[in-house]
Amino acid sequence: MYKWFLAWRYLHTKLIAFFGVASVMLCVAMVLVVMSVMGGFLDTVRERSRGMLSDVVLEAGSMQGFPYYEEFETYVAKHMSDIVAVTTPTIVNYGLIRVPDTSQTKPAQIVGVRLNEYCTINDFKGGLHYEEYFPGTTTLAKQPIAVAGLDPNTEKLSLPPELEAANRKWQESVGDPEEIEKYESLPYATSAFPKTAAPYYYDRVFAADIGEPKYEGPEHMGLIVGSDVLWDRDKQGGFKRYLARGTRLALTVLPLTPSGTLTGEPPVRIPLRYADDSRTGIFEIDSMCVYVDFDMLQQKLAMDAQEKIDGGFTKPRAKQLLIGLKEGVDLDEGWARVQAGWLNFLATLGPNVDDGDMTRLGFVDVYTWEDLQRPLIAAIEKEKVLVTILFGLISLVAIVLLGCIFYMIVEKKTKDIGILKSLGASGRGVAGLFVVYAAAIGVVGAALGTLLGSAFVWNINTIQDKLAQLNPALKVWSPDVYSFDKIPEVVKQQDAMWIAIVAVIASMVGSLIPAFLAARVWPVKALRYE
Amino acid sequence: MSNEMLRAKGLHKSYKMGRSVVRVLRGVSLSAKRGEFLAVMGASGSGKSTLLHLLGALDLPNRGTVEYENRDLFGLPRSARRAYCNRDVGFVFQFYHLLPELNALENVLIARLITHSAGSWMGARRQSRADAGELLERVGLKDRARHRPSELSGGERQRVAIARALVNRPALLLADEPTGNLDAKIGGEIMGLLTELNEAGQTIIMVTHDAQVASRAHRRLQLSDGVMSEGGTDRR
Ligand SMILES: Nc1ncnc2c1ncn2[C@@H]1O[C@H](COP(=O)(O)OP(=O)(O)O)[C@@H](O)[C@H]1O
Ligand SMILES: [Mg+2]
Repeated sequence: MYKWFLAWRYLHTKLIAFFGVASVMLCVAMVLVVMSVMGGFLDTVRERSRGMLSDVVLEAGSMQGFPYYEEFETYVAKHMSDIVAVTTPTIVNYGLIRVPDTSQTKPAQIVGVRLNEYCTINDFKGGLHYEEYFPGTTTLAKQPIAVAGLDPNTEKLSLPPELEAANRKWQESVGDPEEIEKYESLPYATSAFPKTAAPYYYDRVFAADIGEPKYEGPEHMGLIVGSDVLWDRDKQGGFKRYLARGTRLALTVLPLTPSGTLTGEPPVRIPLRYADDSRTGIFEIDSMCVYVDFDMLQQKLAMDAQEKIDGGFTKPRAKQLLIGLKEGVDLDEGWARVQAGWLNFLATLGPNVDDGDMTRLGFVDVYTWEDLQRPLIAAIEKEKVLVTILFGLISLVAIVLLGCIFYMIVEKKTKDIGILKSLGASGRGVAGLFVVYAAAIGVVGAALGTLLGSAFVWNINTIQDKLAQLNPALKVWSPDVYSFDKIPEVVKQQDAMWIAIVAVIASMVGSLIPAFLAARVWPVKALRYE
Repeated sequence: MSNEMLRAKGLHKSYKMGRSVVRVLRGVSLSAKRGEFLAVMGASGSGKSTLLHLLGALDLPNRGTVEYENRDLFGLPRSARRAYCNRDVGFVFQFYHLLPELNALENVLIARLITHSAGSWMGARRQSRADAGELLERVGLKDRARHRPSELSGGERQRVAIARALVNRPALLLADEPTGNLDAKIGGEIMGLLTELNEAGQTIIMVTHDAQVASRAHRRLQLSDGVMSEGGTDRR
């Protein structure tokens, strides 16, 4: 009992305990901040990379894609409806995107999707820009350009009624007048190219003309561009959009034969209209991908059913089949079921499958989204482990430091130890006193450190903004580098708990040697002199 | 039951000082009866503290035995020897040796606390606090209970130390020059307190180099050159 009593006394009467508590606190706070930020970073990347895919993905081994995906969709709907909610095919290809108005040309990864299905299977819709303010108006189907009407007297602009109605729907759903006010105050720009150095933020850009609002021009299929494909970012992480919604864009693609050779036709140029832009939050994706209609792309790439020279048709092909599992289905279990289902399905195909098709089917693999994003996630996971180890090493220094502090305490307390022993305390009891004392320092330090670390993480963006105001060089997080607007601000309870436990154990370990020395103090030697 | 409480026989103790060996005790024997107030006198450095530490089982002799109630202390297991330190003897040091972080009451209580686990303390707590308070009152420090040692005078500290030594109701009180650090007046008061305790039945063995102080005892022994000689008997 005296252990607890004295440890408690030492804790709040000895200045040196303050140093012990402070060093534990700082270590705990430091490790917690690092693990939270890195962990938050990792989670964000995971979440967002999941957002692009589906739970389970069937992927062809090469660019030409794989046949029989439609038949497999039917098979899944029939036999696996207990675990599968949705399926949708995609095509992934490469090509050039060109902005005719500015003669700008860039390479792009072209993703063909069935937009409605694609939006139910993942979070793609949440990253669309115009879709947010004009819900229901983003489409990959044929569309003209919307031209806002400019009243020459009032200089007021008005959009076509469908867009105004959609916008009102958004305003109702937001409800926050401040947010709406912000929207209203943003300028329209009729044409902002060539890029102007205008200081404002092009959040929504529409073509405008004097007269009534209208739709104009030839109809083209829609194109959604990754947010970093065409736009630069400003310092706040906003995008400098400079093309009006509905502007003509062009994609150039190279069709391949099913066996992967060039078809011999010239490259195909597809006229499109800029329908929206997409932000997944992964820079690698947003700076490369553009999205078009699946069926249109399939046709342009000659991946649809083609007439064969010897009669009959080839099978349409897709690059991926995305499979969304039902709520609550375990990912690995779902993967195993799909894998088994796929093999079963192949067995049902029978002998009339073309040899080439058979080969392509053989190269189809079933993945979970985690498998496919592994390279991206693994890098950050490694980084997290590395940084945690580094800071763990620093904490090791803190343990040694604690050991020194305890050693000093034992030295100073030799007489007290002698007194306790002369009163009948055992060596083990006295050693226990110091371990309990260390544990108390550990507990208090860990608690304060958890508070400090959590407070720091919760306010990390504010802190960094304040620092950046002092000196711009201190702005470590820049949205145009890290593709997230903010540093992650989440502290996981489990992380915090483990760090605290380790800190308490570490403090106790740090006190072991001094405690052992205390146990060996010989009372008469300690008590001989004043 | 014999009237003899403590008997030391042929105690030898020497210290190594570098290469030389200082032979402090060279066969010291003594015995103390229940209720006796015994004073051991000797010059400074004659080995009085060394002897008292052996009697209190705070140190081990090179040779010789100390029997308490006919049990050889140095033949006992360590835990039994600790129980002896805690319960059967109370030790009063020349330099008080109080714990600076604790107040007077807690310094007295700590001797009780040592033998208790957290669980058993819950039951013993109230009684112990009452006992400690009573003892402080008895040594005249009732209103100083909440003071830290640094806020007390030398005499007051020694009173706290005496209260601590008595809190477990030991049969034997060992006092090592209890007045050695105090002026004559305060020392006299402390001696008065010890005499009072003795009159109430407390067995006391005290060592001192001061004949004036020793005169309060029933019996005086003289320690010199590492051996003991009878130094006079009760004058009363
Ligand atoms: N731990 C020790 N190491 C070496 N010498 C010691 C030790 N303890 C006591 N001595 C020596 O033993 C002698 C007796 O000491 P002590 O018992 O304290 O005498 P007293 O209490 O009578 O003044 C002294 O000369 C002292 O220096
Ligand atoms: Mg002495």
